[in-house]
Amino acid sequence: MNSLDPRVSRLPQIQEPVSLKAPLDQFGTFEVFVQPKEGKPFQHEGIVHAPDIELAWVLAKETFTRRFTCTSLYVADTRDVYVSPLTEGESNAYDPIPETRESGIKKTYEIYHLAKRGRQHVHAGTVQAATPQHAMTEAKLQFNTGKTVYNVWAIANDAIRFTTPEEKELWLTLSEKKFRDASDYKGGDKLKEFLERKLIS
Amino acid sequence: MYGGGNTFEGIKTDSLSQEDPVKLAAFEARIARGEKIEPTDWMPQLYRKQLIRMIEQHAHSEIIGALPEGTWITRAPGFKRKMALMAKVQDEVGHAQLLYSAAETLGKSREQMIDDLINGKSKYSNVFNYPTFTWADCCFISWLVDAGAIVNQLANAKGSYGPYCRALERICAEESFHLKYGHHCVIYLASGTAKQRQMFQEALNRWWPPMMHFFGPSDKISAHTEVLMRWKVKMGTNDEMRNQFLDMYVPKIWELGFTIPDPNLKKNTETGKWEYTEPDWEEFKRVINGNGPCNKERLEVRRVAEARGRWVREALKSPKAAYVTPLA
Repeated sequence: MNSLDPRVSRLPQIQEPVSLKAPLDQFGTFEVFVQPKEGKPFQHEGIVHAPDIELAWVLAKETFTRRFTCTSLYVADTRDVYVSPLTEGESNAYDPIPETRESGIKKTYEIYHLAKRGRQHVHAGTVQAATPQHAMTEAKLQFNTGKTVYNVWAIANDAIRFTTPEEKELWLTLSEKKFRDASDYKGGDKLKEFLERKLIS
Repeated sequence: MYGGGNTFEGIKTDSLSQEDPVKLAAFEARIARGEKIEPTDWMPQLYRKQLIRMIEQHAHSEIIGALPEGTWITRAPGFKRKMALMAKVQDEVGHAQLLYSAAETLGKSREQMIDDLINGKSKYSNVFNYPTFTWADCCFISWLVDAGAIVNQLANAKGSYGPYCRALERICAEESFHLKYGHHCVIYLASGTAKQRQMFQEALNRWWPPMMHFFGPSDKISAHTEVLMRWKVKMGTNDEMRNQFLDMYVPKIWELGFTIPDPNLKKNTETGKWEYTEPDWEEFKRVINGNGPCNKERLEVRRVAEARGRWVREALKSPKAAYVTPLA
């Protein structure tokens, strides 16, 4: 290819037409949850596509924690998030949730609330439950204060890839990495000096 | 970064008559109240279609937009500039990730979107079909193309579709670094040697017409977008966005002693609006239809990347994973 960019000029010729992407070419879907500050609740940030949960964690770190201060993140396969219907107005997402009783072996579920439409889902707490449906019932008992919640999510703890304590060092930004911050680009002095020079000449 | 001037499909108003009038009224009332629409909410087909188109164009613009600047990473003047430019280009590619995810919530898979880009079916911002001859062109993009993008994105962040607004808020926060970095680069050229000043002046001469095109065709000739404004898909007309950009940045360019290559450019003190030579919309159409200086190269780079990366994606694929529509 004839380009101004020598790297583009060096690219090999691909003669045959590029075939269409097969399903899953962009991998599975994983939901990403970030803790912005120590002591603050985790919140839903978005998704990444990855072939497995380990790579999902790596990609989530690259995609969602580039600038904002962040102390931890975790990921879960979208299929492992149990979702209540989305409500509106005064109607509380907890209201239609039935009372399910379960006697099986319990495990921990992370519960998320959507407190305001248009905002992100925020961590409300954890419950012990035998099934996702049961986790919803438990969440209703423990976290339903009567204040309208528009959507509830439950994720089994063992389906989550958490950040280990050692990995948390990743977010301790080195001072030499300040070049990624707007605050590192103070052109003011240079501009002022230039304008003064222009005034004299 | 990203241009406005989305090419929306021609809107057939009769398509709305197919919709359930009760649901449509509730949908419009929600938007009028300032509430966001979420993926599982009912929405008219037209809304879904136009949003997918707009968000997808925005995402493509981010990955294609990484190319004209990425070119200069290996030749950036000095280590600090190289590191910063690398971080910026990475940001842009990250923005594409966020935007593709937002578009996916509306039901179009990422595979389909990338296929449509590579096969020339989807559009992206026209401005990235122009070459970066010198470092100064790269500085122009970092400062002024990003500035234009911020004008658009801040407006769109107040739109009606929840996932898109949330992605844009995140993107805007990163853009502030791009803008400051770009301005810093240009101040250094402006206050440097005569040769450096000349370099930037030449870049400004080359980039001014595409920059004026950036916000899309003039309101006089652009498609009827009333319904898109009512649904808060489009948050301002192309001319309003262009005027806001000129208002914010022309004084800053003049301050640095550069000449904008349009003798008719001036602010009308009575109307508060900028007056300028009408951009060449025939040129705009020519470029958007694939005949700009770099269209072929930009798509070819994507095509080669697609073909060469295929074996890696094949090797990583796991039968346990499944594509599902993102939740929010």
